[in-house]
Amino acid sequence: MKSIQNNKIFIDSSEYIYRVAHLTLEGTCSLDHGPKNVFIKNLYVDKYPVTNQQFLNFIKSTGYKPADPQRFLAHNPNKIKNNYPVVCVSQYDAMQYAKWVGGRLPTDEEWQYIAAGPNYLEWPWGDIFDPLVCNHDHGALTPVNAHKKGASWCGCEDLSGNTWEWTSGVYDDGEHKFALLRGGSFFYAQDHWHVGGGARKNNYHWKLQLLNEGMNRASTLGFRCVYDA
Amino acid sequence: MMHKNKKVKNKIISLSSRDLLFSIDYEKKMNLDKLFDLNSKYNFLKNKNNDLLKIKIENEIISNSFLRIENVIDQTKNKFKFIALDFSYLFKKDVFKGRVSIIQKKENIIDIIFQLAVKWNNEIPKKTTLIFPFLRNLNNHKNFLKPGHVINGKKSIKKSVWNFHEYPPAIITNNSKNVAVGIEFFDQFPWQSNYNLGMHEAILKDDFDHYESEVQLNRELSDVITMRLYTSSKGKNEIFHLWKENTRSRYDLRKYFRPKNTWIKKNYITHFTFAYGKEIFDYKKTKLNIKKIIKDGKEFGGYDSLIFWHQYPRLGLDNTNQWDLYKYLPEELKSIKKIVEICHRNGIKFFIPFKPWDVRSNESLDYHAKSLEHFITKTNIDGFFLDTMSSLPESFLKIQKKFPSFEFASEGTPKEQRQIEQLTSSWDQIGDIRRNYKVEVEANMFRFVFPEHPLNLVSRWSVGSDKDSIIKRAAFNGTGLVIWQDVFGCWLPFSKKQKKVINQLKYVLKKFHNIIFGSNSTPLIDTLSAGLICNEFSNNSNQKIFAIYNFTKKNISGPFVKIESKINIKIQQVFGTNSSIQLKKIKKDQALYGTIKADDVVLVHIKY
Repeated sequence: MKSIQNNKIFIDSSEYIYRVAHLTLEGTCSLDHGPKNVFIKNLYVDKYPVTNQQFLNFIKSTGYKPADPQRFLAHNPNKIKNNYPVVCVSQYDAMQYAKWVGGRLPTDEEWQYIAAGPNYLEWPWGDIFDPLVCNHDHGALTPVNAHKKGASWCGCEDLSGNTWEWTSGVYDDGEHKFALLRGGSFFYAQDHWHVGGGARKNNYHWKLQLLNEGMNRASTLGFRCVYDA
Repeated sequence: MMHKNKKVKNKIISLSSRDLLFSIDYEKKMNLDKLFDLNSKYNFLKNKNNDLLKIKIENEIISNSFLRIENVIDQTKNKFKFIALDFSYLFKKDVFKGRVSIIQKKENIIDIIFQLAVKWNNEIPKKTTLIFPFLRNLNNHKNFLKPGHVINGKKSIKKSVWNFHEYPPAIITNNSKNVAVGIEFFDQFPWQSNYNLGMHEAILKDDFDHYESEVQLNRELSDVITMRLYTSSKGKNEIFHLWKENTRSRYDLRKYFRPKNTWIKKNYITHFTFAYGKEIFDYKKTKLNIKKIIKDGKEFGGYDSLIFWHQYPRLGLDNTNQWDLYKYLPEELKSIKKIVEICHRNGIKFFIPFKPWDVRSNESLDYHAKSLEHFITKTNIDGFFLDTMSSLPESFLKIQKKFPSFEFASEGTPKEQRQIEQLTSSWDQIGDIRRNYKVEVEANMFRFVFPEHPLNLVSRWSVGSDKDSIIKRAAFNGTGLVIWQDVFGCWLPFSKKQKKVINQLKYVLKKFHNIIFGSNSTPLIDTLSAGLICNEFSNNSNQKIFAIYNFTKKNISGPFVKIESKINIKIQQVFGTNSSIQLKKIKKDQALYGTIKADDVVLVHIKY
C-alpha cells in the first residue's frame, strides 16, 4: 500500500468521500464542500513539509528571485534552522519549488486524504486531539520531524500544527481570488476575530483571500509537495 | 427649613403646576384623586381607585388598614413647589417608613418621588416589591403611548428604536390631543440605578399590569422610584422637545463644534473598502486601484469617505499585528499615502480601522495611539474607524490636539454620556442575519436627540428588499449610509435602481443639510391617516422637511400631516415615488395630501 523512498511516501489510488468543514457567512468560500466522491490518483507525497535547507538549495540552484520580494523568506532561514519548515513563501513561490523538484502542490482533496486516510481520521494520528503529538500553541516553529507520534496513517509527519500548508488551487468566484490552507499552525491568536489558530482537524480548510505577494506570505505558512506516480 | 403641617378638610392635599393639578386623598389610603389639565379640566384618571403605592412583602400586600399618615407637607407657595406625605406601616413587626413627594422645579417639569425605609424584625430582610396602581390605570388609558410608540388607528404601535442610555417618555394625551403629559423614569446613572430602569423597561411591555418593582430597602429613607412628568398644552411633539432639552442639558457637546472637523457632518456616503476583491484590487497588476472605486462611487452620488479594510480576516494567521500588516501591502505605506492623495484630490476622506481585539499583551493603547500618530504623519489619513467599539479610548483623545481635523468614528453608536460627548460620529448598524432580521423603517431616537452626531446606516448582510428598506430607513431618519458591497469576501452589491435612489438621497441630504440636521427636528409626529408615520425636520427657519412612510401593504390616499396655516406655502416632494403632494384645507387646518405607495418613504420640502 505504501512505501517510503527518500522521504517520499507512495499513496495508492483510491476513491474517497471528501467532506470539509469551513467558515460560514464571514469567510465562506464558494466551493463544493462535499460530501462527494473524489478519486485520488497514485502519487508520492513528501513525508515532511519542505524545509529551509531544501528551499535554500532550490534558490542556490536556480537563482530564484520572486518578482515581488515583499516578505519573501522574511523569517531569515539559517543553518541552525535548516530542518525547520520553510515559511514566508507565497503559493507561487511554493509552486516554483515544486516544479523544480518534479512535483506539485497537493490539491485540497489530496491533502485531506493524505492526512485522514481511508478511515477518515479526525486528526492525522487518530480521532482524539492530542496537543503533545503536534506543534499546537507551542509559541514557535519546531523542526519538521519533531512530532513522530503525530504521523498520519501513511507516515506523513507535521500535517496538523507547526505551519499551515498551501494547497494547489487558485479559485476565482468572480469578485475575489483565494486559495485553501490546511493543517493549522503553532500560532494561536487570542480572539475569536483572529484566524482560528493552532493545529486544525483533517477535515478543515481555511480560505486565504489572495492579494499581492507580500500579503500572501506569512511566517506560519509553508508547504509540502506531491509527485504524480 | 421647618415643614408646615397642612390643616385640610377631608384629608386632601394638592399641587398645581402651570398645566396640571395633582390631588392626593389620604383619608383611608394614599390615593391620587385628581390628575387633570387645568385649562380643559380633563382628568387623566378614569378610575376612582388610584393608590399611589402598594407594598408587597413576600407574597402578601400590606393592607391600607396598616397605613398611618405621619406628616403632611405643603410647600406650594414657594418658587420651589412641593407637597409630600410621610407615612408608615407597622406590619408583622416590620416597620416601614416612606414619603411620596410631588415636586415642581420648572413650570412644565414635575417629579414624583417615592422613598422608603424599613426596620426589619430580627434584622432579616424580606423580599419586597412595589406596585403602583395609579400608574397601571394611566397605562391603560386609551391615549397612553408607550415610549417611542405612535397611534395607528385605535392601536398604538412601536415605530422607533433607541439603543443609548437615555429613555424617552411615555406620553398620555387628552381627547383633543392638545394637552400631553410625558412620563419618564429618569435615570442619571443607567445600570446602577436599576429601579427606574426596570420601570422604564416594564412600561414598554404589554403586561405592565403585572409589573412589580423589587427593591432593597435600608433604615433611612432613600429613593426607590422617580417619575418625571413633562407637561404641554401644545401636544405630544413638545413633550419630546422638553425631554430632549432636559436630557441634553447634562451634556458637554463642544467637541461636535470643533471648527476643523466640520467635514464629518457632511460624510453622507462612506464606502467600506474591502481590500481583497476586484472592487479595489487589480489582480493582474497586483495593485490597489483606487480610481476604480472613486469612479464606481459616482453612481451613488460620490463617496464622501472610504474605510480601507485589509486586517480582517487576515490578522491571526501569524503574529503580525494590525500596524505591521500595512507593511506588506504593495509599496508598503506609500501605497496608502498615494491612495489618500488621490482621495483628497477627489474630495474624499480616508479612514483606517482600529482593531481593539488585536491589542496584544505587550501593547498598550498608548502604543496604538503612537502608532496612529506615526501613521497619520506618513499617510495623511483623516480618520480612525473603531471596529466593534462604541467608545473612544482615552489614549486616542490627544491625537485630535495634534491633528484637529482628525475624526474618530465607531462601529456602534455610542450609548453612554461620556462616549456620546467624545465620539462625534458613528455607524448606525442594524441587522443580524442569523436571526432572520428584517430591516424596519422606524425612527432612530438617538438621531433626533443628538442631530449633530452624524450616523451612517448599515445592515451589512441585508439584500433584496431589505437593501431597499435600508435606503428608506436612511431617508426617513435623514442619515447617511455605508456602502458595503464586499462583506469580507461575500459580494452583495446594490442594484442599479438602488444606486440611483441613494444618489437621490445624497442630493437631498446635501441640499437640505441645514434643515435635515436642524436642532428642532421631531420624530414620529402625529399623522392624519392610519398606516403612516412621519418625522419632521426643522432648524427653526421658514423651511421644513417632512419624511413620511407608508408602512402598510396598500397605497394610502388622504391627508398625511397637519402643517401650519400660513399663506404662500411652497411644497415640493424631494424624495420617493411621485405622490402628487398638494395642500388641502381640513376644517381650520391645512394638511399635506396625496397618495403614498405601499412601503414607500417620501420627503416633502415646505417653505413658508
